[in-house]
Order: sequence, then structure tokens, then C-alpha cells
Amino acid sequence: MNARPLMLALLSGALMLPQAARAQTQRLAGRLPEHARAEVAALIDSARGEGLPADPLVNKALEGASKGADGARIVAAVRALASGLARARAILGAGATEPELVAGAAALRAGAPSVFVERLRRDYPREPLVVPLAVMADLVARGVPADTAAQSVLALVRAGVREAELVAFRQSVERDIALGAPAGAAAAIRVNAAERDLGATALLPGQVPPRPRKP
Amino acid sequence: MHGSAPDPLIARVADALRRPAPLTPDFDVRVMVAVRQAPPPLPLRAWTWLREPRVMAVSPLSGLAMAAGLAGILLVGAVGRQPSAVSRQEAVSRQPSAVSGGAAASVTFVFVAPAARSVALSGDFNDWDASRVLMRREASGLWTVDVPLTPGRYRYVFVVDGRRFVADPAAPRAVGDDFGTPTSVVTIGGGGTRAAGGSL
Repeated sequence: MNARPLMLALLSGALMLPQAARAQTQRLAGRLPEHARAEVAALIDSARGEGLPADPLVNKALEGASKGADGARIVAAVRALASGLARARAILGAGATEPELVAGAAALRAGAPSVFVERLRRDYPREPLVVPLAVMADLVARGVPADTAAQSVLALVRAGVREAELVAFRQSVERDIALGAPAGAAAAIRVNAAERDLGATALLPGQVPPRPRKP
Repeated sequence: MHGSAPDPLIARVADALRRPAPLTPDFDVRVMVAVRQAPPPLPLRAWTWLREPRVMAVSPLSGLAMAAGLAGILLVGAVGRQPSAVSRQEAVSRQPSAVSGGAAASVTFVFVAPAARSVALSGDFNDWDASRVLMRREASGLWTVDVPLTPGRYRYVFVVDGRRFVADPAAPRAVGDDFGTPTSVVTIGGGGTRAAGGSL
């Protein structure tokens, strides 16, 4: 077997990685104060060394710059996000995609119990979890208690709802809250109704959860 | 003129003019024919043209095409009226809507700001650079823009008149406000579904 093409591919890959990294930090040039840029670049390098995605960190720094935040605040926000991404990766696993890590970090920051995120990954190791995690974070942002939001999303995913149905659920809860319903009660009632519509039943110990339907 | 004798020439002309002109018996008929043949004024002509029944030849295919066009116009009209439900004076928008197109979904962001001179979109998808995504002003102060987004969760704000950051009123707020201004989120699911302000 000729190893030359493989070697060339590996070499070009190794050459392209630093280029990609440079391109990411170059996005910060001219947008951040110099001292903040250096600190953010160091945080990004460190995160990249741990196998974390750099783009969300660059975006966070650029958001701060765009909103006129001072350097210290930008650095603190980037550091907090890097920590959140690391926590999400520890729970979701090394195979988690960048969008999953971003959504997972948002859900954990919102207050989702880590056991909920663990269970979601364990039960659905190959399904994309971006939407369930995002809906969970969005519900908490609308005032649904984190435990209730987490249990609601988990129950619906187990019932086999599609991504679009999960979003419709979130929108229904938002409408109910806007009409004056207590946030926790709105989520619980909507979950019960959805489960009833889907004919879902509680899982018995050891029972294999159904695979979510394709969107 | 008083006290002077009339000029004989003038008297003759006056006598001739005083004599009734001889009319032929068909004079009235000829006048009425001429009146009927004279072109009517433009508004009356237009009204007559509109009222006149006509026979139009339309192939079945053309008929179907016209019916589809009419249905399309009605549909566009119905969709166009939707924002009125949320058209409060300021800072109102519809939730971003996504259309899946392979890996990337085209997401339409809508914002209602009748008094704004410019509205831009700034977020994770454009390096938070408001100058890159300017929104188009539609009727009634409606601002829209389409942005292709791959699956993921994105933070964004509307930038009004180049200086004011406004969260999307129709989208969920991002948890945690790191920089003192509220931020919205939109999440694109694997199937191009929009779930957050949202997601899916």
C-alpha cells in the first residue's frame, strides 16, 4: 500500500490547522482593545488545546466588542463560556458537536440539572440534542423552573416528539405564560396534553426509550 | 346714434339677418344623427367599454395559471397581513422563520419599527458586525432580511439607527446577559426546523 497520499493528507491537515486557528483569532483584530485581545486569544488557544470549539468564544468576544463592553468584561464572559463548554463536553461526551456543546452550555447555565443532560445523552447517544437542549434553556428563560423544564423536555423526547413539535410545545407554553398562566403549571399542563396526544406511557425501569422521530 | 337716419346699407344687412333661415324638413333628423355620431367624452367611453359584455377565449392551461396566480396573490395578501397582529409602534417582530435548504436553512428575520431610519442584524452569524446584514424596509415600517444558517444556536440583536441594540420581541431571550443588553436566540435544528426564538 502506498503511504504517500496518506502522509500528504496528514501533512496538509497539520498545516491547515494552525491556519484555521489564526483565521479565528484574526477575526478579533481591530475589534478588541489590545490587552483584551491578547487575553482572549490565550483563552481561545487554551480551549482549543482542550479540544473545545473556538468559534463560540470568538463570537462571545465579538458580541462584547460590538456592545461596547470594556476589555475586562469581555475576558470574563469568554472565560465563563469556555468553562461552560468544558462542562457541557464533560457531560455530553467527546463526540458532541459544536452546536450541541453551545446548546448544552446554555441549558446548564440556565440551571438545567446535569443529570438531565446526562440522561438525554445516554438515552439518545446518536441523536442530535441541539433542539431539546435549546428548548430547555428557552423555557427557563421564560420563567419555567429549571427542573420542570428539564423534566418536560425529557418526557417529550421520550414520547418520540419531533423537533418541530418540541418547538411548538415551547411556543404553546410561552403563549400560556403571556396569557397569565404560572410558568411551571403551563409547562406541566402542556406536557401532559402532548403525552396524552401521543399516547405516551411512562418508561419502566430498564425499558429502552423510543428513538425520536425525524423532524 | 340717436336722432340720425340709419345707413341704407346697414339697414339692408339687418333685414337680411332678421329673416328666418329656411330649414329643410329633415333638419332635425340630420342634427340628431350628427349628435349620435360624435365621440362621447373619455370617462363615458371608458365606462361604456367596461360595461360592454365580451367573449374571451382562454385555454384550460391559461385558466389554471390565472387561478394559481390569483390564489398566490390572496396567499401573499394573507401572509402580508400577519404582522399587523404584532405591529405595535416600536420594536415588534415575528419569530424568525426558517426554510430548510440542505445543510443551511434560510431564516427570515422580521422587525417592525416604523420610525427607524435603518435596522441591521448583528449576531453570531456575522461576527456581530451590524454593517454586514442591513435589513430591507418593506411597507408599514416592516424590516426583513433572510440569512442562511446551518444547524446550531445563534445569539443576535437588531441594531436600530446604528446605535440602539434591541432584542427580538418575538424570540426567546438568551439566558445570562453578559454585556448589559438583552440578546435573543434562534436555534436551527437538524432538519432545518427552527426552535428557539426560535429553535427549530
